[in-house]
Amino acid sequence: MNTRTRLRIAGQSGTGLLSVGSILIRSLRDMGFYCVADREFPSLIKGGHSCFTINFSDQPLKSLSQTCDILVTIDKPSTQAYFDTLDEGGVWVHGYERPVGLKDFRDTADKRHITTVHMPTRTTAKEVGGTDLQQNVVLTGMAWKVLGLPYDILETEMKRKFAKKPQFMESNLAALKAGYERTEYQIPQTKYQIPKKKERRMLIDGNHAIALGAIHAGVRVYYAYPMSPSSSILTHMADYAKEVGMIVKQGEDEITVANLNMGSWYAGTRSLCATSGGGYDLMTETVSLAGIIETPWVGIIVQRPGPATGLPTWTAQGDLNLAIYSSHGEFARCVIAVSDPEDNFTLIQHALNLAEKFQIPVIVLSDRVTGESLLTVPEFAQNTIPIERHLVTGKNLEKLDNHDRYKITKDGVSKRWIPCSHPDKYYFANGDEHDGMGRLDEDQSAGEMYAKRFRKLETLEKDLPEPEVLGVKKEADISFVGWGSSKNVMQDIIGQQGISGKRQGVRINYLHYSYVYPLKTKSLEKFFKDNPNVHLIEGNHTGQLGQLIEQKTSLKFKGKLLKWNGRPFFVEDLENYIKEQMPKTK
Amino acid sequence: MSDQSKKLAGCADRYLQYETDEVMTWCGGCGNYTIQNALKRALALENIGRDNVIFCFDVGCSGNGSDKMEGYTIHGLHGRVLPLAAGVKIANHKVHVIAEAGDGATFSEGAGHVIHAVRNDYPILFLHHDNQNYGLTIGQASALTPKGCKMSGCPQGNPVDALNPLEIVLSLGPSFVARVSCTDTEHMTEIFQKGLQHDGLAFIEVLQSCPTFNKDTTHEWYVENIKYIEKELPKYDPTDLWAAKRLVMEETMYLGMIYHNPEKQNFLKAVEHWDPKCPALVEDVHQVDVSGIMAKL
Repeated sequence: MNTRTRLRIAGQSGTGLLSVGSILIRSLRDMGFYCVADREFPSLIKGGHSCFTINFSDQPLKSLSQTCDILVTIDKPSTQAYFDTLDEGGVWVHGYERPVGLKDFRDTADKRHITTVHMPTRTTAKEVGGTDLQQNVVLTGMAWKVLGLPYDILETEMKRKFAKKPQFMESNLAALKAGYERTEYQIPQTKYQIPKKKERRMLIDGNHAIALGAIHAGVRVYYAYPMSPSSSILTHMADYAKEVGMIVKQGEDEITVANLNMGSWYAGTRSLCATSGGGYDLMTETVSLAGIIETPWVGIIVQRPGPATGLPTWTAQGDLNLAIYSSHGEFARCVIAVSDPEDNFTLIQHALNLAEKFQIPVIVLSDRVTGESLLTVPEFAQNTIPIERHLVTGKNLEKLDNHDRYKITKDGVSKRWIPCSHPDKYYFANGDEHDGMGRLDEDQSAGEMYAKRFRKLETLEKDLPEPEVLGVKKEADISFVGWGSSKNVMQDIIGQQGISGKRQGVRINYLHYSYVYPLKTKSLEKFFKDNPNVHLIEGNHTGQLGQLIEQKTSLKFKGKLLKWNGRPFFVEDLENYIKEQMPKTK
Repeated sequence: MSDQSKKLAGCADRYLQYETDEVMTWCGGCGNYTIQNALKRALALENIGRDNVIFCFDVGCSGNGSDKMEGYTIHGLHGRVLPLAAGVKIANHKVHVIAEAGDGATFSEGAGHVIHAVRNDYPILFLHHDNQNYGLTIGQASALTPKGCKMSGCPQGNPVDALNPLEIVLSLGPSFVARVSCTDTEHMTEIFQKGLQHDGLAFIEVLQSCPTFNKDTTHEWYVENIKYIEKELPKYDPTDLWAAKRLVMEETMYLGMIYHNPEKQNFLKAVEHWDPKCPALVEDVHQVDVSGIMAKL
């Protein structure tokens, strides 16, 4: 029995594949399935082939398969692009008016025991009173029927989606019903388990979740300059701004955004910005300023492959080094990596707390696949992470000396209070090297202030949680170490949510870094000691986390699973790698 | 004793709170002395205390005043003071925010920010220190150095035309444009006061002498060449944009209120759900319930 069912809808960008995908995934969610979905699309608005892939199961799953069981194609170019991703014995659903033009594909389908489900969707839509535009609705009904799922769920979702366009409701429903009723083929019900319980779950992506986490944690102002794949954070923040009473400002460039963010943090509120690698390049001078004036600053990098424009709509984990090493001078900072919606919601709250506790810049690394993949998750638990501001306020302000602001301390952390909160306790937040109250200081002793700031890195490292271990506790047949979105595919492999449970019997575990920098190594050392066969998994060319680990420890990886072609790790990547590394297992 | 001096005598404490005991590091005769003096006067006369103003400084000679003004100051990056100050103001709209930058920062490194800060009309008092060169890096030409001036880095003379700063600013739809000179502290004070009262971006060009590197437009040159709108042009209407544009194109350097558009809506007021009476964002950090949002997902 398959542990996941894999449905792919392919069409040229702008042909409506997203609305087909959206109705199907919401209906599946309403049935109680766990779903994960992602789209592949080129960096243009119309044309070019793209696809929306849904994997679903009655068991939790978080990453996608590269291939599919059911392929729904909207047009010929996308059939050409994605036909080979349909597994042997799969189902091909299409709605061409003249299937004669697809003879080659039909022949291939026969050879590969693929079942073809076809209906001329445009003609069908018109027959039931619709227009050309509703051919995708017919296709949606066809796909749902192939899945063998009850019509009422799909109809409810359709009504919800088009509630604001009542003029099209009747014809849409007619087209949907025609697609469903006139399709005869259904995949055997033994192919997958229908969930017994219908627990309510949200359908949400990482960018949406990080926006909610930030809002929940008291971020009162958000700044951004549009850049894929971070832009939807701006969209969500702007959509909620009025409801939650915050300010959202699109700046004229990323340097502006970084400085607006800096100014708002310095003034004493909680502020946030997000971008991708290229935009962050422009922000780095400001991050250095945050370092010297010891002011919290939080920014998100939603990674895509570089260099330069690179692959704007694809994914990567290539900017870890950027986050850790960019900006001139040396200063303490924290780098946190998120992997799924839950992570996005909680880790952004910790990021904001850490920034204030240590008065440092905190960089949150996400990536396109984390930011834009839709997952079914329970509603996030609120009020579990208190807001920690570590500010001197009220009567305690009276006790302050102006020189407390940057006073040299053992742990590197000095007191911080909001500008203007007391008329006499002013200080200078000085980008030039300075003394305790921020006054310019170019004496030889200025090096002490430099070292004081850097001491915060040690204090921070002690404060951070150790990385977590998933899977067997020790003596795994094969182990992995990684960060960011790699966690999703590792969770699926460990939970045997692979393609077909092929790797059952192999003992796997995974050590995951959410807090990547400063790097904690105690659990890591133990992990290497307890497990004989540890490999690195990273979505980049050089193994950046691996380099950091090898620089700080004497640990050596047995192998490295690296990927940098813009695609996320699919379950097949792991299954194949494990097979290669462990030829003796079945 | 002038009226201004009499008024100042009555609020000496408010003036003195900003005074520093530190050794000043500007050259003798630098325009910055009178500019800071006038700013302190304006703050005292407007009854603005240290708990009601944040000073934002760019990098350069003007920026070196960042620890010579005894109040809450931030000394940021070169060219970036306008977005930095805007971020401060957005976070705490209840305090006055003052930004200062030189001509290198304003019309070279940060020229893009001028366009958008004026367009957004962030409620900030912005002092553009125009001494027509890069002083702190020892005398290179700026975008405002006249063509032909021999500067460090262009020994044969600056080969390109200078920009006209106010012509640029007036093209951006500003709400408040004025010009003052460091040679007249009283007049600077009056205009700075107007800028502090303005609820939008007050762009004030301060003609500033640089005795070390700018031998062309010296203190004496300014004294001889400046004219006052108020005295010379009694019919001048500062709400007339075209009159303002013509005025700044003239060779004569006219001082005073050049342009004022009371209709312009500043960035904060343009945010539909923002209310000036609402708590400043710095007072408003709290856990926000997102269950209503989650229920719809």
